[in-house]
Amino acid sequence: MATVRYDKATRIYPGTSRPAVDGLELEIGDGEFLVLVGPSGCGKSTSLRMLAGLEDVDQGAIYIQDRDVTNLPPKARDIAMVFQNYALYPHMTVYENMAFALKLRKTPKHEIDVRVKKAAAMLQLEEYLGRKPKALSGGQRQRVAMGRAIVREPQVFLMDEPLSNLDAKLRVQTRSQIATLQADLGITTVYVTHDQVEAMTMGHRVAVMLDGVLQQVASPRELYDKPANVFVAGFMGSPAMNIKKVPLTESGAKFADMILPLERSQIEAASADGGDKHVQVGFRPEDTDLVGAEDGGMPIHVDLVEELGSDAYVYGTVALEGQDERIIVRADPRNAPSLGDTVYVKPRAGQHHAFHAGNGRRL
Amino acid sequence: MTTKTQPVPPAPTRPPTDGGRGGAHAAAHKEVRIFSRLGYLALIAWTVIVIGPILWTFLASFKNTAEIFSSPWTMPAELRVENWSRAWTTAHVGQYFVNSVLVVAFSTAGTMLLGSMAAYVLARYSFFGNRLVYYLFVAGLAFPMFLAIVPLFYIVKNLGLFNTHTGLVLVYIAYSLPFTVFFLTAFFKTLPTSVAEAGVIDGCSHTRLFFQVMLPMAKPGMVSVAIFNIIGQWAQYLLPVLLISDQNKYVLTQGIAQISINAGYQADWSGLFAALSMSILPMIVVYGIFQRQIQAGLTAGAVK
Repeated sequence: MATVRYDKATRIYPGTSRPAVDGLELEIGDGEFLVLVGPSGCGKSTSLRMLAGLEDVDQGAIYIQDRDVTNLPPKARDIAMVFQNYALYPHMTVYENMAFALKLRKTPKHEIDVRVKKAAAMLQLEEYLGRKPKALSGGQRQRVAMGRAIVREPQVFLMDEPLSNLDAKLRVQTRSQIATLQADLGITTVYVTHDQVEAMTMGHRVAVMLDGVLQQVASPRELYDKPANVFVAGFMGSPAMNIKKVPLTESGAKFADMILPLERSQIEAASADGGDKHVQVGFRPEDTDLVGAEDGGMPIHVDLVEELGSDAYVYGTVALEGQDERIIVRADPRNAPSLGDTVYVKPRAGQHHAFHAGNGRRL
Repeated sequence: MTTKTQPVPPAPTRPPTDGGRGGAHAAAHKEVRIFSRLGYLALIAWTVIVIGPILWTFLASFKNTAEIFSSPWTMPAELRVENWSRAWTTAHVGQYFVNSVLVVAFSTAGTMLLGSMAAYVLARYSFFGNRLVYYLFVAGLAFPMFLAIVPLFYIVKNLGLFNTHTGLVLVYIAYSLPFTVFFLTAFFKTLPTSVAEAGVIDGCSHTRLFFQVMLPMAKPGMVSVAIFNIIGQWAQYLLPVLLISDQNKYVLTQGIAQISINAGYQADWSGLFAALSMSILPMIVVYGIFQRQIQAGLTAGAVK
């Protein structure tokens, strides 16, 4: 069990000028499940690999349980890693795969046996211990990769998109298994994913990254309800939040014919720093109501209706400052509008988010 | 699920386009068939060219000299096994055979060990001069052996290794390394990096990572190159002629040449063919056993 701390850790790949990870400052508590999430190329995997020791740290430092591991080789860091493609040793059986690290540590044979069998029981792998990886299904291989990490009983688990090679259904199932397993073992875990659903469902806290820069670290709830900037707002949640740049008035943001009210301080902050009399406002598809034509909602021309069973998402366009802008709203699936209809949409009071027009920060 | 409740416009009717292209399509198909037939013809011709002489040699090894010349294309009248025993003992082919096996065993082992280690480092570690070393090896591929004969002779002699099997083994290793490194570097590059990283995290040293993780994964490539080297070194003639002069230390190729040189007017043709058959057989056996791995090695990385 251990804490992990990134202290302004920076990674600049040779031959590039822009850092892949730029001054990352992040503290991960003992036993915490932290998810690093972001679009591809945002530096999340690099951050994880820096912690693993597979990637150099060019500036700053990384600590595991207050021990500076910045220049230690991977094997001295007491970590275990699960790779995206599992990286099992193809010439070893499942048992040998899981026992390999312990064998290298000169763990007594009977202890290896106890630990491997215990992990195998936890992951329902007992009957496959004698098989080679190529004789296993994708889900079983994934579990072997997990098992290989578990038997080590490391201070920190590192997981690099361990579910992305599974099919959708298995992914959902394994997702909850990993979360449960982590809770049982209580081992500090850093988990990298590009999937915001995984991030929301698994993480105690979620760190959102973009272009090598940490955007926000918070609990999934807070991330969803109070995104720190436009990027986080747009990245978390599916379908994405409707975010539009609209003119600022004295009482709020002018959204089509509606005024979305903003507080005095928000309006002042929006005007400062080259706000250019505009503001970015956003509301989530589920924070809207479909209203009658006379109730003052904005008219939306329906382009597409996605029915998911539990929900229906209505994709439509609204005229904002003479331009057609796309809006997504959630509707009652039993009473969804049809293609070509015009519906009237009203964001729920107080459920909208405001961001600075220039720098995108939350107001 | 996406619902579209608007009436779906009828699909635009298109004039059938098949008529125009049908003929061309059939012609293309015919062309393919002709090519594949030509391909089979070429393969059959190739097979005959390769197997014919080997078969003829085997048959001739059971005939006597008169029979070889009077009826070269028939089956032997009787199985004269004494040709084989005569070649094995009287012509010392047994001794040469053992010499060859020893030399090839050590040189192949050495080549594979050094070659795989060099290739692994060149493929997976970046350091200053990496490319230079690699291209030096590749350049070795293009270097004709005849150019090296004289300097090689003096080097081996100055090392005190002239007329020793050790000297021959070392020269074989040097001679086989370029291709081995060239081939295995490409092979090691196709192996997944993440498995190596998993090994590093599990606590492997560089040496252990190579011998316990990467080398077993490279087995198909290793077997292919090993077979290639065994066959090449087994059939090597120029280097032994250059470096071994003591008859007791002759390798098989020299021994066989010796039989035909010594022949004079009273040639032991059947003994010669028996010796030749003995030298061919082990290679066929080796190839037969490892043929599967060779195929796997040659196509590795082509499809995942």
